[in-house]
Amino acid sequence: MQKAACGAMGLMASFLVVIVLFAALPGCTGDAPRLTFWVGGAPQEVDYWEQLVVGFEKDTGIDVEIIRQPAATEQRKQGLVIALESGRPDPDVFLMDIIWISQFVQSDWLAPLDSCFGENSLHPRQFFPSVVDRVDRRNNRYYALPAFLDVGLLYYRGDLLQRHGFTGPPATWDALVEQALIVQAAERRENPGFNGFVWQGAQYEGLVCTFLEFIATHGGGISIDGTVNVSLPANEKALQFMQDLVRRHRVSPANTYTEMKEEEVRRGFQRGNALFERNWLYAWSLHQRPGSAVRGSIGLAPLPHLPGAETAATLGGWHLGISKTSDVKDQAWKLVEFLLSHDTQKKLLMKLGWYSCRRDVYQDPEVQSQVANIETLQQIVNHAVSRPDLPYYDHISRILQRYVNDCLAGKHSPREAITAMQQEIDRIEEIYGSP
Amino acid sequence: MAAPDQPPEKNEEARSAWLFNLPLVLLTAAFILIPVGGTLVTSLFRDVTYLPDAFVGLQNYLRLAADLHFWQSMRFTLLFVAVSVTLELIFGLVFALLLNEAMPGRGLLRVIVLVPWIIPIAVSARIWELIYNYEFGLFNFLLQHLDLTQQPVNWLGSSAGAFAAIVISDVWKTTPFMTIILLAGFSTIPQDLYRQAMVDGTHFLQRFIHVTLPLIRPVIVVALLFRTIDAVRIFDLIYVLTGGGPGGATTSLSLYSFQYYVSGDFGYGSCISLIVFLIAGLLAVSYIRLGKFSEVLR
Repeated sequence: MQKAACGAMGLMASFLVVIVLFAALPGCTGDAPRLTFWVGGAPQEVDYWEQLVVGFEKDTGIDVEIIRQPAATEQRKQGLVIALESGRPDPDVFLMDIIWISQFVQSDWLAPLDSCFGENSLHPRQFFPSVVDRVDRRNNRYYALPAFLDVGLLYYRGDLLQRHGFTGPPATWDALVEQALIVQAAERRENPGFNGFVWQGAQYEGLVCTFLEFIATHGGGISIDGTVNVSLPANEKALQFMQDLVRRHRVSPANTYTEMKEEEVRRGFQRGNALFERNWLYAWSLHQRPGSAVRGSIGLAPLPHLPGAETAATLGGWHLGISKTSDVKDQAWKLVEFLLSHDTQKKLLMKLGWYSCRRDVYQDPEVQSQVANIETLQQIVNHAVSRPDLPYYDHISRILQRYVNDCLAGKHSPREAITAMQQEIDRIEEIYGSP
Repeated sequence: MAAPDQPPEKNEEARSAWLFNLPLVLLTAAFILIPVGGTLVTSLFRDVTYLPDAFVGLQNYLRLAADLHFWQSMRFTLLFVAVSVTLELIFGLVFALLLNEAMPGRGLLRVIVLVPWIIPIAVSARIWELIYNYEFGLFNFLLQHLDLTQQPVNWLGSSAGAFAAIVISDVWKTTPFMTIILLAGFSTIPQDLYRQAMVDGTHFLQRFIHVTLPLIRPVIVVALLFRTIDAVRIFDLIYVLTGGGPGGATTSLSLYSFQYYVSGDFGYGSCISLIVFLIAGLLAVSYIRLGKFSEVLR
C-alpha cells in the first residue's frame, strides 16, 4: 500500500514536471532582442531571400533570423495575424499581400515609417506613386512600402497567331474569342488538350482578380465610396462573358472553375496547350526558361476590353512592413532599406523576375537591355485597378469568389449572382462596416 | 485484503485513487477545459482585430442561426460524418473478418492494409487530387484509354462529385484504423464459443450475428466514437482537395471557422468552433449510452 502511494506520488510529480516544462516553453524564446524577417512562398524564393540577407548581415553586422512561412498565402496570413494580434516583439519585418494592408493598419499592427524617411535614405517618392500613394499611405502616413509589383496581363502565342493569319494579339474581347475559336479548332486536330484561353477561375482569391479585370474591361467595377456596390449592368455583362467563355464558346476548359489557379494556368500554357493566358507578371520569366515549350514564341499585352471601355489590370504584389510592437525598429528599418535598395530590387528583377516598384530600376542600362516589355508594362501599370481597400476585404472577397464561381459552374445566372452577392455584401457591411 | 469494517484503510485507498487521477485531471484542465472555456468566452465578444472589442452576449450565436452558409456547412459536415463513418465501419468489419482468418501471408496483409493510415492526411489528399485531376488525373486517363469517354470528366466540378470524392478519399484513408481496432476486438473472443456454436450446427452468418457482434459491441462503439469525433472536425483533407468548393458546397464547419480566424474575426470563429465541440460532445455521449458501457463494466 505504501509502495503504491509512493508510486502515485512519483507519477504525479513527473506529470507536474512535464506540465511546468510545457508552460515554460514559450518563455524560452524571444528574451534577447533579435531581428526576425518573416517570409513565405515557394522554397526557392525563400532560399533567395536568405542569400540576400547574408549580404546585409555582412555589411551591417546585424543578425537577421529568417522565419520561414508556408507557401500558401492564406496560411502566411494566418501566421501573421496570430503573431501580431498577440503583440509580441516578433515578427519585426514581414511581407504582406497588398490586400492585407488595410486590415493590418486598422488593427494597429504596423509602425508608421514617416519618421525614418530622410533626404539620403529610402523615400516613397522613389516608387510608382500609383502604387505607394494608393496602397501604402493612409491618413497621410506611410505604413508599408512595395517589395515587388504584380499586375494581370495577357500572354499570347505569337507563332500560332501568325500561322493562322492574325497580325497581333486581340485588343477587344470579341477579337479574342474569334482568334481563340479558330486557332483552337485547328490545333485540336493534333492536340486534343489545346484550349483557346486559360485563366484563373477556381474558387480562391485569384478569381476576384480576374473578375475585377473582366468587369473593369467591360466598363464596370466595384465602387467603395460610402458602401460597396457591385450591382452594375456592366458587371452583369462581364460575368455573362466569363460564363460564355467556359460554357458557350468553350474556348476555356471545363476545369476553369474547379482547378485553374495561377500555376495550373501557367503550366498548361507553358506546355504549349493554350493560345492565350491571363496570368501575373511572374509567369514571364518561367515561360522563357530553357526547356519551356513556348520559349521565344510568346508575347505579352494588356488585357482586351469592350469597345468603348479600357484595358485593366488587377494590382497585386507584396509589401514590406514593420510591426508596431517590434523591439528592434531601427535595425528593422535598416533591413527594409536594404531590401528596397536599387541594387536589391534590381537583383530580384533579374534573378526572380519580380518587378520592382522603384522607378530608377527601369532606368538602369542593364535592366533596359535585358528585361523585355518595359514599355508595355508601363502601359499596363497605368491601367491598374485595386481590389476594394477595406479592412473586411476578406469577407467581401469570399462572397465574390463564391458567387462568381457558382455562376461559372452554371448554378446561377449572372443576374442572380450579382443580386445575391450585393445582398450578402450589404449584410457584411452592417456587421463590420462601423466601429 | 481490506475488510469492510476498517475505514482508515478505505480512506487511504480513496486518497491514493485521487492521487492517481490527479495528473489526468490536471492535464484535462490544462489542455481541454481551459482552451474550451477560452473559446466560450471569446465567442461572447466582438473580437475583430480592426474593431474595438465589445461584449455582445449571444449576438454571435444569433448571427450564426441566421447564417445560411453556416447551415450549409452543418448539413455538409453531418452528411459527411454519416456517410463516411458508416462506410468505414462496413469496410472495416469486412477487412477485419478476412484478416482474422488463418491464411498464409496474413501478417504481411495486415501490414499492407495499414498503409493508407500511415500516410499523412495532407499527403494522401494530394495523391487523391492527382487521381481526380481533370487534365492528367488517373481516373480520366483510365476512362479515356478504355474509350469510355471522349471528354474528360470534371470530378470535383459538381457538389455531388466533390462530396463523393471527399468520402472516397476519407474511407480509403481511415478504414485501416477501423480494421485494426475491430481486429483487436476479434482476438479477445474465446475460440471455444465458436467451436460450441459449430457443434450446434450454426453457419457462418449466424455465428457472426449471435457470437461475434454482441461480444465486440463495445469495441465497435469505441471505434465509431473515435472516427465520428474525427470526422466532425474534418479540415485538412477538404482544405487540400477541394478548398471547400465548388461554390462552398464542401465547406466543413472547421473550414468555415478557419476562414473567420484568417479574416480576423475571432469571436465568430470561436462561436463556430464551439458548435463543432458541442456536436462532437453530444455524439460522444450518445455513443457511450449506446455502448452501455456501465453495463459492460458491471
